[in-house]
Amino acid sequence: FLGAGGGNDIQWCFSQVKGAVDDDVAEADIISTVEFNHSGELLATGDKGGRVVIFQQEQENKTQSHSRGEYNVYSTFQSHEPEFDYLKSLEIEEKINKIRWLPQKNAAQFLLSTNDKTIKLWKISERDKRPEGYNLKEEDGRYRDPTTVTTLRVPVFRPMDLMVEASPRRIFANAHTYHINSISINSDYETYLSADDLRINLWHLEITDRSFNIVDIKPANMEELTEVITAAEFHPNSCSTFVYSSSKGTIRLCDMRASALCDRHSKLFEEPEDPSNRSFFSEIISSISDVKFSHSGRYMMTRDYLSVKIWDLNMENRPVETYQVHEYLRSKLCSLYENDCIFDKFECCWNGSDRQVEFLSLCTSGSYNNFFRMFDRNTKRDITLEASRENNKPRTVLKPRKVCASGKRKKDEISVDSLDFNKKILHTAWHPKENIIAVATTNNLYIFQDKMN
Amino acid sequence: MLGKGGKRKFDEHEDGLEGKVVSPTDGPSKVSYTLQRQTIFNISLMKLYNHRPLTEPSLQKTVLINNMLRRIQEELKQEGSLRPMFVAASQPADPLGDNFREAQPAFSHLAPPALLPAELVSAVPLESCLTPASLLEDDAFCTSPAVQHDGPTKPPPPPALQAVKDSFSSALDEIEELCPAPTSAEAVAAAEAAADGSKAQPGVHAKAEGVAESRTAEAKLMDPLPGNFEITASTGFLTDLTLDDILFADIDTSMYDFDPCTSATGAASKMAPVSADELLKTLAPYSSQPVTPNQPFKMDLTELDHIMEVLVGS
Repeated sequence: FLGAGGGNDIQWCFSQVKGAVDDDVAEADIISTVEFNHSGELLATGDKGGRVVIFQQEQENKTQSHSRGEYNVYSTFQSHEPEFDYLKSLEIEEKINKIRWLPQKNAAQFLLSTNDKTIKLWKISERDKRPEGYNLKEEDGRYRDPTTVTTLRVPVFRPMDLMVEASPRRIFANAHTYHINSISINSDYETYLSADDLRINLWHLEITDRSFNIVDIKPANMEELTEVITAAEFHPNSCSTFVYSSSKGTIRLCDMRASALCDRHSKLFEEPEDPSNRSFFSEIISSISDVKFSHSGRYMMTRDYLSVKIWDLNMENRPVETYQVHEYLRSKLCSLYENDCIFDKFECCWNGSDRQVEFLSLCTSGSYNNFFRMFDRNTKRDITLEASRENNKPRTVLKPRKVCASGKRKKDEISVDSLDFNKKILHTAWHPKENIIAVATTNNLYIFQDKMN
Repeated sequence: MLGKGGKRKFDEHEDGLEGKVVSPTDGPSKVSYTLQRQTIFNISLMKLYNHRPLTEPSLQKTVLINNMLRRIQEELKQEGSLRPMFVAASQPADPLGDNFREAQPAFSHLAPPALLPAELVSAVPLESCLTPASLLEDDAFCTSPAVQHDGPTKPPPPPALQAVKDSFSSALDEIEELCPAPTSAEAVAAAEAAADGSKAQPGVHAKAEGVAESRTAEAKLMDPLPGNFEITASTGFLTDLTLDDILFADIDTSMYDFDPCTSATGAASKMAPVSADELLKTLAPYSSQPVTPNQPFKMDLTELDHIMEVLVGS
């Protein structure tokens, strides 16, 4: 897999990059979430300005067997607007924290998008026909004088240029005092959960005026607050099971059948602290920024500041695998604390679930300097790649990168002190069926795919 | 910020601090451990106080920084070193006065409220029914200040739990010292009551004024920790007061050479007469001398009154 050639190794090639070219990044353009839909045909991004941009994959061209379809803009809409909380005299950011697609049931597509406070269900539908030949209306919409109507005709649909419309179908508001960090659609496709720093609520997709609280870790005395919820996800197969992670590095698995309020976990996943690595920052770097179930539901992957961990749901006391994303930062934690980078929330993702790619077991997560990392669970090898406009022609294989932690820097290696900590890759997504990955730098979206022979 | 090859001044400073974790018991590296700890403590305070976001600061970040501060203070307490962390000695009351009052309602649910709807709901066996999320929101909107006035019914938390404190002045801390059942909410109530009498809470007021048992000097160390997570807005209000202005020019070694005359903000300078003395007393150990052993910090009522006056800006 590491590009050493042969067998099942993936060689990643640059495919496309979306977004502004110039270095001066407009704040509103900062990408805040990336998500493929269930078929992989659509790729949605949310940004800090509250906009959602959806890209659609071209249907594969039979003649061009060298590459998979390109992604082009399909729909753009303003999902959330900034609001003002008058009670606290603070702005509510319109930044899109998460997007989650619903499985497709009819011609239209549906997705949930959320900012800090409000979740919205959007319907994205195509219109490529319009009715013509009304009896009482002219083509431009003006009403005809009824007395001039002498014959009747049946209106017919005629083709028109494709129009993609996005309309908000549900608005789920006023259920979160704190900032929403996660939404997750249940495998029953009828309910979903939304999690903020202290609470998790359960919604029905059809009902907007009521949601039920299923986890509440707010202490009676807020002064005793030492731990917050950082991420939550439903189990992919069991509709009564979900997990949530915390800022103390724990993951709790809860069963909604056990009680209405799932404050007592069914399982608690926590790795004991390694005393040799103990520092002032141990707690902060143990805070879990993302949790993702594997497609089978047997494993889950968590991301903390320095590592990716794979947990077997049957074993609570430690992860089955740990992969270091950027261990060379361990000696820089004080600076990273000072410049706030230590609070960066990196996400992680599994490879796709389709039969084609199932023999692979790959985990992806981002780092700094526009680097992102991939870990092969089968071969235990890992690779560092860079998302950059330089040196990236379509279909050229990405060159693996290497960071030199200390000592003599070899050629082509990058020293830790040269890393650009403003260039962080927080969001990555993997196509559900093919070896295509979407990687978001600050304001650009990169699409890489494997080299097809 | 790291990157692009340019070495920051702080890098040089902290290169000596980072790297291997030093245990506090190592002889020669104890100083560097202490230095590192102090640096991190100061950085943490600055993060909490210097931030004036237009939006609510991240609760996760606030919690993590608070935990850091608490841990360090616990360590210090255990080591028995009593450098009072008098870092938020003064508060500009005037610019914050209104904001303070605005924030007041949100304080109210810090004390365990007796009759909030959420509490009522929780009295119902949780196993048998789902709690509509709408009910959880009520506690955020409870505006009854009287709810704070809960002292007698609440057992005083042990001093160890006082680690997370109000983000307001150490003068409030002094008030808490005098109160047998201190919480920051009550301290705030006491401050408000003492300050402008607008909230007629004679019980709390009397408590503040009266002489109650004082906490140990070690507990005194649990100084200004913003425990007020609910009022994430309030930390934003404190940016008029920057610790920088009062204590540190920047986070380099100059922080160890405190000069009270450099405080720039008008409000801070108003506080200077009180704070400078206190700070000099307490910060002297920082600059050049090794950690001084127990110096129990005592403050009598007259000084307390003076601080209250200054706090209120009268």
